[in-house]
Amino acid sequence: MSQHTVIITGGSRGIGRAIVDRFLADGASVVTCGRGARPEDLPDAVVWETADVSSPQDAARLLSAAKHAFGPVTHLVNNAGVQVEKTVAGSSDDDWDLVMNVNCRGVFNMCRAVLPDMCGHGGNIINIGSISGMAADPSMALYNASKAWVHGLTRSIAVDHGPKVRCNAIRPGWIMTAMADEAFALADDPDKAMADALARHPVGRFGQPEDIANMAAWLASDQSAYVSGECFTVDGGMTAASPLNPGLF
Amino acid sequence: MKLEGKTALVTGGRGGIGRAIAARFLREGAAVYAADLTPGGSLAAHDDDGSRFVQMNVADETAVQAAMARVQEERGKLDILVNAAGIEIEKTIEDTTLEEWNRSFAVNCTGTFLTSKHALPLLRAAAASGSPASIINFGSYDGFIADPGLAAYCATKGAVHALTRAMACDHGPEGIRVNAVCPGYIDTPMLQSFFTGEGSGGGGKTIDQLQQAVRDVHPMRTYGTPEDIANLVNWLASDEARYASGQLWVLDGGLSAQVQQMKL
Repeated sequence: MSQHTVIITGGSRGIGRAIVDRFLADGASVVTCGRGARPEDLPDAVVWETADVSSPQDAARLLSAAKHAFGPVTHLVNNAGVQVEKTVAGSSDDDWDLVMNVNCRGVFNMCRAVLPDMCGHGGNIINIGSISGMAADPSMALYNASKAWVHGLTRSIAVDHGPKVRCNAIRPGWIMTAMADEAFALADDPDKAMADALARHPVGRFGQPEDIANMAAWLASDQSAYVSGECFTVDGGMTAASPLNPGLF
Repeated sequence: MKLEGKTALVTGGRGGIGRAIAARFLREGAAVYAADLTPGGSLAAHDDDGSRFVQMNVADETAVQAAMARVQEERGKLDILVNAAGIEIEKTIEDTTLEEWNRSFAVNCTGTFLTSKHALPLLRAAAASGSPASIINFGSYDGFIADPGLAAYCATKGAVHALTRAMACDHGPEGIRVNAVCPGYIDTPMLQSFFTGEGSGGGGKTIDQLQQAVRDVHPMRTYGTPEDIANLVNWLASDEARYASGQLWVLDGGLSAQVQQMKL
């Protein structure tokens, strides 16, 4: 990817950070952002902008920083996301604003910022959706809906802005991030919960952020030149299996 | 009565789901042929529900042709064909014999093919005399996502889903609607057999405890009854569904609307 300039939102940790590291290793010029300060362990070659993607001004500033540092932005990875663990009945207006502003408006802001240039020189947008945008995780109502929105927007961008721009989404399953670690720590019986969860994964393990970075790298490459408007699930086979596995009872 | 004046043939018509469909069609005023291997079907007791019994193996083309000849002679048309006959082999592909694999496809796929193929002239006759005719196939939520140890069953149901869309494309212009109902866990002899089978694991639980555990995974906290399926089939068979074709209708109490539920 040595000719490419990439913006990856939410690259301080987790999946976003794994994509930053992978694209950097593949030779890309990488710009990433987050709402906090630059992470101390971020490689020097990566340009960091403290930015909130839910702000159109911040999105424009991020694009300017990338162009100023490296030239035309060829790839955008919309990874920044938040989750609020509530049902519709339990969600406040602030919850709505938080989830929709980051997960939906943030993707919109970033795409709208980069598309005018990409429609000229070409480009590639990769959105991070979720298996929860296909089937529901309980008590994650706004998150689930926001990810389904991401899947829909992915198709629209592919349709509206091809052939210059390709746009695809990745739907990760259970990826072991700090967020997932916390969930297991809170279980009544963490060991049993872990064993049960593992048994629901045909590949016999949870995902790692690098598994998603591998897919992102492929979607960013010419190997996927004919792929656009698709949402690919990377979940170790979990959603291919029935949620009702009597062997686990 | 939604189906007054209509003629229906239900394969597996004396089994768990097929019997409930036949009974519902009768209540809605249809003339009903219940095709099955035996008058009692998969249930022990012989229950003459008022349907006309047709002894038929859906995988036997001669028997299927004879059944359609009888409907032709007695009714002259067929408005509704329900392909509910089905079997499941509870094994992985490693343990499934070729004979079991072939038998699964013979009943679940070839049966759907044969009955539909030989019913077409009768269905066209019904369509020509009034409202569209309706074929209702039986897919399964297992045609979308897999239950463990049901490989051949999952494959046959996926095939039925594709066949449903193909038939809807080919025969829609002739006034024949084709849909598939895709049940989740329904309280039938087949399900009870699954609970007591080797594949169910069980983990030392009693059948009652196992059933409760299965109910608890469903958003509706219960599994379905054959009558729940008959409610949808009745609608798909009726003229209210005149614009419904080529679709896969999942009816599973919300089971497949959720992702895997970790025990956190």
